[in-house]
Amino acid sequence: MKEISHHGPGLCVKFYDEFVYAGYGPYIEQYNYKSGELINRCRVFRKNKVHGISISSNGYILAYGARSAAVCSLSDISDNVSILQEERLLAEWITCGEFSADGNKVFLLTCYNKVIISDIIGTIIGVKTIKGERSILYSGSIKPFSDELVYISAGTVMGGVLVWNLYEESIVHNLKGHEGSIFYSTISDNGKYLASCSDDRSIRLWDLKTGAELTIGWGHTARIWNLKFFQDDRKIISVSEDCTCRVWDIIVDEDGKSVLLQQSNIYEVHQIKNVWGVDVNSDHMIAVTSGNDGRLKITDLIQTSRTGKETGSFSIQKIQDELDIPFEKGEIIKGFQWFSFGLIAVTSFGKILKYGDVNKKWTLELEDKRFSSFVIVSGISSKNIAIFMNNKADILLLRFDAVGNLQLSSDYNIKGLKKSTNCLVSIFDRKSIILLLESPNPRDRLIFLKIDNYNLDILQEFRFNRPDNFVTTCMEAFEDYILLGSRFSTIGIFNLKGSDVDPYLIRKLTPGDTITSVSFVEIEKKLPIFSVTNRDGYFNFITIDLKRSSCKRVHFSVLHSNKVSKGFLEGAYIDDKNQYITYGFKSSLFYMYNETNCYEIMSEPCGGAHRQWNLFPDGRGFVLVYIKASDLHYRKIREPRFPAVLKNGLHGREIRDISILKSQPYKNGYLFCTASEDTTVRLSHFDQDTGDITNYWLQRKHVSGLQRCKFINHHLMISCSAREELFLWDIDQDSSSRPYISTRATLPTSSDIPDLRIMDFDVKFLLNSDSFLLATVYSDSVIKVWSFDEATNKFALLIEGRYETCCLLNVKLESVAKQLYLITTPTDGHVVVYNITDYIPYELADNFQFLLENFNECKTLPLPNYITKFLVHQSGIKTFCTDSESLPRTIKIFTGGDDNAIAMNILKVDADSLGIISSSSSFIEDAASSTITSISLFDKNRKLMMTSVDQLVKVWDVTGDDLVPIDKRYTTIADTGSLDVVTLEDSSTLSLIGGVGISLWKLAF
Amino acid sequence: MGKSSKDKRDLYYRKAKEQGYRARSAFKLLQLNEQFHFLDDPNLKRVVDLCAAPGSWSQVLSRKLFTEDPDKENTKDKKIIAVDLQPMSPIDNVITLQADITHPKTLAKILELFGNEKADFVCSDGAPDVTGLHDLDEYVQQQLIMSALQLTTCILKTGGTFIAKIFRGRDIDLLYSQLGFLFKRVICAKPRSSRGTSLEAFIVCMDYSPPKNWFPELDVNKSVTEFFEGCMVTKDESSNDILPAWVEEDRVIAEFMSCGGLDSYDSDATY
Ligand SMILES: C[S@@+](CC[C@H](N)C(=O)[O-])C[C@H]1O[C@@H](n2cnc3c(N)ncnc32)[C@H](O)[C@@H]1O
Repeated sequence: MKEISHHGPGLCVKFYDEFVYAGYGPYIEQYNYKSGELINRCRVFRKNKVHGISISSNGYILAYGARSAAVCSLSDISDNVSILQEERLLAEWITCGEFSADGNKVFLLTCYNKVIISDIIGTIIGVKTIKGERSILYSGSIKPFSDELVYISAGTVMGGVLVWNLYEESIVHNLKGHEGSIFYSTISDNGKYLASCSDDRSIRLWDLKTGAELTIGWGHTARIWNLKFFQDDRKIISVSEDCTCRVWDIIVDEDGKSVLLQQSNIYEVHQIKNVWGVDVNSDHMIAVTSGNDGRLKITDLIQTSRTGKETGSFSIQKIQDELDIPFEKGEIIKGFQWFSFGLIAVTSFGKILKYGDVNKKWTLELEDKRFSSFVIVSGISSKNIAIFMNNKADILLLRFDAVGNLQLSSDYNIKGLKKSTNCLVSIFDRKSIILLLESPNPRDRLIFLKIDNYNLDILQEFRFNRPDNFVTTCMEAFEDYILLGSRFSTIGIFNLKGSDVDPYLIRKLTPGDTITSVSFVEIEKKLPIFSVTNRDGYFNFITIDLKRSSCKRVHFSVLHSNKVSKGFLEGAYIDDKNQYITYGFKSSLFYMYNETNCYEIMSEPCGGAHRQWNLFPDGRGFVLVYIKASDLHYRKIREPRFPAVLKNGLHGREIRDISILKSQPYKNGYLFCTASEDTTVRLSHFDQDTGDITNYWLQRKHVSGLQRCKFINHHLMISCSAREELFLWDIDQDSSSRPYISTRATLPTSSDIPDLRIMDFDVKFLLNSDSFLLATVYSDSVIKVWSFDEATNKFALLIEGRYETCCLLNVKLESVAKQLYLITTPTDGHVVVYNITDYIPYELADNFQFLLENFNECKTLPLPNYITKFLVHQSGIKTFCTDSESLPRTIKIFTGGDDNAIAMNILKVDADSLGIISSSSSFIEDAASSTITSISLFDKNRKLMMTSVDQLVKVWDVTGDDLVPIDKRYTTIADTGSLDVVTLEDSSTLSLIGGVGISLWKLAF
Repeated sequence: MGKSSKDKRDLYYRKAKEQGYRARSAFKLLQLNEQFHFLDDPNLKRVVDLCAAPGSWSQVLSRKLFTEDPDKENTKDKKIIAVDLQPMSPIDNVITLQADITHPKTLAKILELFGNEKADFVCSDGAPDVTGLHDLDEYVQQQLIMSALQLTTCILKTGGTFIAKIFRGRDIDLLYSQLGFLFKRVICAKPRSSRGTSLEAFIVCMDYSPPKNWFPELDVNKSVTEFFEGCMVTKDESSNDILPAWVEEDRVIAEFMSCGGLDSYDSDATY
């Protein structure tokens, strides 16, 4: 058994040279922060996690965590897979470790406020303490000002920070003010300040000389874990349980008397809970953070001013002054379009202005009074075309050259519209663009104009009937079709080559209202896939068979469905790294978000969605232009100078279940799903050689912490949680770019008790079908059996009943001897068996693997009495698996319990009575030292893998009468709770183990 | 979902309300006693309830030792001391102390109250704040147990019983092994009223018998680890001249026992 990769919380990070060193589980990972490349991953501890790193001026590195510490040279970390020979074990938890000023000594502060001083090779030089202050610390730090002067700042559990002089073993200050435990304290390099943070969510700045509390910084909405002074002690960065990192300016007033801590920036950097580590590189002004989600995130602290040209704003007055022409009273900017050369804008009096982004000058391009009070501006930035339309269906087209000189202008009046109030434009093909004109009058037709890119001639005009309740919001052209998004979650498809004057309609695509974007993504199996976003946050990927569609019926299917975590969704695209990027508004902020890897790319306080705004691609990225308080603002969004992440994380909280899509490999590995306490389900991929994980999607349909997720065949997956939530998911893996996942069906609920959990489920398929029988067990002891029909996508309840009053933890459907048994394990330690053969409208196929329809009437029956139950464990059976294939007429049941035990029970089906006889059993009382959370059979049911909360992974041989241990290994994943196993074509076996993080194992015996 | 909203739906929570207990935890102690009967001993006189707020364990102790004792004469030299960082409203027959159990002065106060006589039974239901760092949380919990144990070694009579709340994480077997140096029998017990989904359990340490050549002595300048030196295998660095290399430490799996009977309510169920 060998661990190939480990993904879990990152506890500490440090910049040094051009590298980031990160404590990642028991490893130190070294990254080049400019390229994002992983240089090396070196194991430093056997079991303990690296909680802190210190680097000396002469090239040594100290790692410490729990009771372990190790010192080696930086090159040892770069060149070796392990330095385990350097690991030392102390008697007490190490709160902090640091090198001396000259780099020749190591200080280790333990949680009982004792400092052990050693040299680089571990010879102990001295032990220092202060009298009478030996109670436990949550945090501490060491500040070596010189070889003689070293300060210790110790954060106690009672709200005090104890500052003491190491060599004098004397107390300097006992700083009191915080409430609750002190989670971090640190001294500035210049020796002026001490900063501390605690349970009380405040940051306090103290005068190190006098011990006076200078100021308090409030802002974080949860506990604060770490602080760091940077930029010559003029700023502080903090990280918290609220998932943010914040920058604080230390503002000293002129006479130097009063000091203020002012929050200058806030960044959402990690998911769900806890940011542990932070460091800043003041030269480049970037921060690196690490969190419980396993992500290593780089944050640009000067994103909006890196080159000094990222943002700008203009008041009407400023534009006027610069142009040196008088504006009318009340003249304002009505519309704009950004190009690579700059901006084109129109005023409410028909002045068409140009702002050159190179010469930073405003010029009046022309004046056209027709486009005064009502004007809509649009355009195609990549073709340098700007389009103006008024409400009388006059249109003006301007084409510029690459540097912004006006090349050509054309204007038209389009007949047949009573009024024109909407104008959208999109690229049609290489040579032309397509323009839509829309009237507010529902009887007016929709007019499309195909216009030549170069000479701006109208090449063709198309008129279509306007469907009921159709208000266009966005447009996309694909081949000879135009797709319009509308309100009421409707898409209209207009066939420019067909004879139909009616569009094809897809109504009520998502639960939301306004469709904000439709964009072509890729061709899969000869059909186009479009991404569709809805303002209410829903987004879908749909495939449309345009050729087979007509106005009577649109042949389309939803490949993917999801919802953004918060805010309004205005659009989305796939970037060059195959990541799905969404953008929109959350309260007063405009945001761009990396949906694939779940982090924010940027946000701009622009005042909210009701502003006039637009996001323009300009060849080098995007430019956001908006009007706020009648001023015009722009913000350029560029590829970040440094990679945004060094490592993508997974879930922010514990992974409760893992399921590998075993039926076929996907890109040198497998797709897998994880179900987490953080209420999300992820679809990801692992590489079978490197163990690298690629995130694809994070599904947010559940609103409560997950219990289970499981692939039930080659494309269907089920997940379940509290609030009786159970969803059937359909995974599409035909596309080589990415898999898609959509919700196919939802199980009906019976109550609105939020605590009613679906604990587990199992299925049995109908032969050659996607229809199946589903058994669900609940936390109120209820057992239900359902049929799922693939044609209608509906569940029908077949059996309902209750075991007793205790919670049911697991369920399996097993068939032997042409009987179908439902086996469940409650918290009372029993295995309970029901025979449901005669209660379902199906019979078993000859091989018992599948069901056949027997056309009995489909109605709900009460659950029969169990046919047998027997006590196996002292308390809850946490996990179980069954094997009905190895022996005829026999079900082997393997169970793992809260009582540290595992058991194998053999059930034989009596040939005559069809009753169950428990024939023999094997029970290992101390299989683990803590709860057994997951077991799984593999190697043709000859071996059993087991995980337990004590972080041991064990493998048992289960071929004989007794369970025989074959191997055991320590896993670095805490709260070990789930596992799945897949056997590869070369018959080697891989296993994913989940808990707080995930690790991939290769098994060979 | 907040923890409190869950608790409200819990059957034990309602039952505690009905029976006048301040917390549902009372049933954990009652169910432990159902299995081990440590509170049914007629000779039980002096007991200490560490980390006792809001006080439901103390209520159980008070009822067992006083209210339910048929022999009223027997109660005169009985004494219950409850200690917590938090203030506690008074409970009949219970002396409450607001103090930190990790502080040596706390021990002196308890000893004084017992008139320097030894205690028969010590329990601790303490739990520190969790940070979310699993290894740190487990360590701090174990240190709180070691603090409780430190007090216990100074006041518990030979043959006495000590019980404490534990979280069964990755190093729990290390703790079992350490407890084995002080007690003849160490059992890990899980009452049915403690949720199956939580790692919470209780160590029931019976028959206190410290090593012959070890004499517990509280010293404000010593940490808990240093206190147990010479009793357990742990060694502090002051006695070394180099930082000790990593060693696999002794680990023992304690016997597991589920308490409370299968007919009692299931704390994981939704009613
Ligand atoms: C779960 S509660 C105890 C409940 C109690 N057994 C009951 O039944 O009401 C845990 C208690 O441990 C206390 N505690 C934690 N650390 C402590 C310490 N060092 N000294 C004293 N009490 C402590 C907390 O104040 C808290 O009240």
